[in-house]
Amino acid sequence: MIELYHVSKEYGRFRHALTEVTCKVERGEFVFLTGPSGAGKTTLLKLLFREEAPTSGQIVVNGRNIWVLPGSQVPYFRRTIGVVFQDFRLIGRKTVFENIAFVQSVLGLPRAEQRRRAYQVLKRVGLHHQMNAYPQDLSGGEQQRVAIARAIVNEPALLLADEPTGNLDPVLSEEIMRLFGDINVRGTTVVVATHDLEMIRRMGKRVLTLERGRLREGAPPAPLIREAPFLPRG
Amino acid sequence: MAINARYLFGEAWSIARSGARQTILAVALIALGLYVPGLLVLLSGNLGRLATMGGEPPSVVATLEASADAQAVAARLAADPRVERVRVVTSPEALDRFRRSYPDLGAALAELKEAPFPPTVEVYVKPASSADSPKVAEEARRLPGVESADSEEGFDRRFQEAVRVLRGAGFFLGGLLTVAAILSVASAIRLALDLHRDEIEIMRLMGATEGAVRAPFWLYGAFEGLTGGALALGLLFATYAGVSRFLFLHPHPVLSIFWARFLDWRISSAMPAAGMAAGFLGSVLSLGRKAKVSV
Repeated sequence: MIELYHVSKEYGRFRHALTEVTCKVERGEFVFLTGPSGAGKTTLLKLLFREEAPTSGQIVVNGRNIWVLPGSQVPYFRRTIGVVFQDFRLIGRKTVFENIAFVQSVLGLPRAEQRRRAYQVLKRVGLHHQMNAYPQDLSGGEQQRVAIARAIVNEPALLLADEPTGNLDPVLSEEIMRLFGDINVRGTTVVVATHDLEMIRRMGKRVLTLERGRLREGAPPAPLIREAPFLPRG
Repeated sequence: MAINARYLFGEAWSIARSGARQTILAVALIALGLYVPGLLVLLSGNLGRLATMGGEPPSVVATLEASADAQAVAARLAADPRVERVRVVTSPEALDRFRRSYPDLGAALAELKEAPFPPTVEVYVKPASSADSPKVAEEARRLPGVESADSEEGFDRRFQEAVRVLRGAGFFLGGLLTVAAILSVASAIRLALDLHRDEIEIMRLMGATEGAVRAPFWLYGAFEGLTGGALALGLLFATYAGVSRFLFLHPHPVLSIFWARFLDWRISSAMPAAGMAAGFLGSVLSLGRKAKVSV
């Protein structure tokens, strides 16, 4: 599903966000991506989504080298991926329903079908009563759940989530992870970037750790966890 | 991939609402940009009709007394070696010609018992002798039965020239103001783009094609222009109707005759179309530079 070959990303001459990252995620896998702040987790997700370009290396997603993909094909590629952004990236002037149904609305899916799908997916994140609310009227946690609902509404082949439970309480975080687990069981490949090592342990899934832009298999060692200043809640 | 019309119109409306003041300003500028040249075209159109109501302009027009023998006067004038041809215009012919040129006013003259126009003899001087038109007029004045005779050539040429200048000024000013209107639409779109920059980025990340991102802005620009054009046409018609009403209440010997017809349907329909084209062009120009994909 995802293959990275010697992928590096530099911002300017001296800031190396990722260095020689090589890894493979199989179709249908559930993978946690962890590491301290600034390790390159968000950058890696951005590369997978083609939001940013690697400085060197090759990235293959779903059998396609995404950096040789023509620009006109990028939107169609992105529609096969669901993304939960760290900063939610909801459109403030659109309602929750409109945010979730955006791509379907561009594609001309009947309004009733859009509403049905949006309602179903909002019910799964416990926000079906907020269909007509605007993002700014919701709490941070609710906005995050709307972002999750938007990412999964089209049943994507790949789900990328950047700190999807960052603003949620432990109970809700557990709920969202269960939701991701359900989506994964249905065949969607899931990559979750998170600081929450406790949750990673509980889920018992494959873990990739980024440290100063370098990737290695497995959970981070205990000292790294202890030293991390942002250490996870719970 | 076709873009859903509901999405397209919904987004365009949302863009218009988000920058209401800029939208109103751009519409007003387009309306002004089309109203001013429209007014000049309306003026020149009516003046031009007045200038050409008799077809090819005669060099000299001799107005006859009611009892005069028009054919005899015409024969005398035609005998002059400088004259190419003459034409007798009887009172009923003059009235008929007026009705053809001013169908809207012709009905008002139908109730008159006597023909309001005196018989005339139109004299066409040979091109080589055109400078002698005043002399021909002077000699015509001495003929029995001739009430007055005037050389029309200089006046007619100057009049036609004035109409041409007015029309040219209309088109020039129209061109200038249309460019201003295009720039104002482009500026409104740029502002709308800045207001929507974040969400355009999100839309792209969600899988919106360039067409889906740009098309609402194109539509917004085109509608802005269409509204401006329609507004200009409406204002122009209001001006025409207002002046017509004023002239009906306060008749003027010259203005009442020439201010008789609104723009024909081709020019009328061209105004909203021109506004729409200007709006669309403005949005295309603006988006061409501003909405590039960053990756």
